[in-house]
Amino acid sequence: MIEAHSASLIYIDHGREIHACRDISLEVRDGEFVGILGPSGSGKSSLLYMLSGLKDPTFGEVRYGGARYTTLDDAARSNLRLREFGFVFQQPYLLGYLSATENVVLADSSSEDAYERATHLLNVLGLGDQLNRMPSELSGGEKQRVCVARALIASPKVVFADEPTASLDHAGGVQVVSLLRRHHQGALVMVTHDPAMLDQADRVFSISEGTAVELLKK
Amino acid sequence: MLVIMLAVLLIAGIVSVMNSIPLSVRNVYGYSKHITGATPRGDRSFFPKLKEHFEQSPVPIDRTIVARTVIFNVKSIVGPWPFVLHGIGSQDAGYVIEKVGLKLGEGRFPEAGKPEAVISQRVARNLGLSLGDALLRPDDDKNFSPYEVKIVGILEGREWFAFSSYEYLKENHFPPVDVLMLFAPNQTEQRNLDAWAEESLRSQRAMVYTYPSLERDTTETFRILFKILNVVVGLLVTVITIMMGMLINIYLGQRIVEFGLLQAIGFTQRRLISRAIFEAALVVVFGWVLGVLAAGALLYIIQLVLMEPRGFYLDPTDTLAYAYSIPVPIAIIVAAALTVWWRFRKFDPISVVERRIA
Repeated sequence: MIEAHSASLIYIDHGREIHACRDISLEVRDGEFVGILGPSGSGKSSLLYMLSGLKDPTFGEVRYGGARYTTLDDAARSNLRLREFGFVFQQPYLLGYLSATENVVLADSSSEDAYERATHLLNVLGLGDQLNRMPSELSGGEKQRVCVARALIASPKVVFADEPTASLDHAGGVQVVSLLRRHHQGALVMVTHDPAMLDQADRVFSISEGTAVELLKK
Repeated sequence: MLVIMLAVLLIAGIVSVMNSIPLSVRNVYGYSKHITGATPRGDRSFFPKLKEHFEQSPVPIDRTIVARTVIFNVKSIVGPWPFVLHGIGSQDAGYVIEKVGLKLGEGRFPEAGKPEAVISQRVARNLGLSLGDALLRPDDDKNFSPYEVKIVGILEGREWFAFSSYEYLKENHFPPVDVLMLFAPNQTEQRNLDAWAEESLRSQRAMVYTYPSLERDTTETFRILFKILNVVVGLLVTVITIMMGMLINIYLGQRIVEFGLLQAIGFTQRRLISRAIFEAALVVVFGWVLGVLAAGALLYIIQLVLMEPRGFYLDPTDTLAYAYSIPVPIAIIVAAALTVWWRFRKFDPISVVERRIA
């Protein structure tokens, strides 16, 4: 489904070359839960951005469904992210002027039944009584669950989660991962520094200083 | 939006008030549309030749009246303005006021040789005078007459006009020069007579007074003033545009997380740029419309409370005043588009989701 072949990512920070990822090859298969584990600054988020097409590799290539991301223009790549991918970021970013339901609908606003599905998802995720609440009225865990609903509403083929539990306590983190696993049928690629969050993962890649990816078969 | 609204209000207000001056000139002296005036220049013995000259006119003349004139002052928003008190014989008074589009509303016409005057309603309102009041007085340097000239009649109609007895002005006022008031059968012929008189008496020992020459002189007088106004409005638009560009930049900065998030989850950059420009344009256009409405309302109140009671003129529907404010929204929308383009030029949504920008 997603394949990285000898993908490297180099960027310049204050005139210094930073090798965020070095020669990484991996594959994410349909429906599997892939964990990427590593300490802060190891390059795991950079790898996630390459896998999701948010960043292009400096060397090597990344393909989705057999097509290289670099052959797609901005519109096609954006459409891919909107229709086939879902994202959960470290911080529970929500638009402050939209309600919980409206924030979820945002990711699939062209569908006629988006409101119904958003309401259903929020109910399933335990936010049935918070549908019309504004983000400022929600706790950190509740906001992250709204973000999970937003990532899932378009029934994506892949969900990319970048440290989705970092701003939550352990119990909250486990709950978010469980919800993602339970309510998402497609592939899940999750980056974390906490091994406990990857208990349910099918495969886990360890990344360190971007130089190597070590497959730890569970 | 308030800034745009106030800018439109300011520009429309300035232009409208400036326009009120030539508008007032045209209104106050509007009676001259119906008259072609001519008087000797430097040599009063030229008067019989002047009369003969008009007897040769190729344009039909309905009536020629020999009159006298005295200057008195009416009020304007830029201070006292000279206005003409015509000395007209009693046999011609009815004809003249009918040609000017007026009719006697109250009182009577002046008696020959008596210090009496008739003024139109607009003159009366401007000076705050009514029947029985004095128009000219021996103790008034600006509106002087050796005897108190009492108002004995008020004329109804839209034109400003004032007249007294020909004999009284001839006996008591300087200069001792007669004036010819020439009336054509209709407005078309009046304009033809104006043109012929101006052309045929050019460089002669005669002065010709016509409405077209008043129009030309007014336009010429205010040309420089309007050039200055253009510069002022240009500066104002520039300052407001820079300020709005900075405000829009701050506004976009505050929403950068939103744009980063939306781009990361799949909104195209083009869609986000269009959205940002559309939002800015909506605010600007709405602000402009509100500004125009507010300016219209304010100018209407000024006209009603300050101008109209004093006989001044201000047009709250002056399209030129609102046209002058159009560069404001255009410049701001261009500035907004450039600002949005500049912000998105190298925008990286990852910098937002990684919290490098927050």
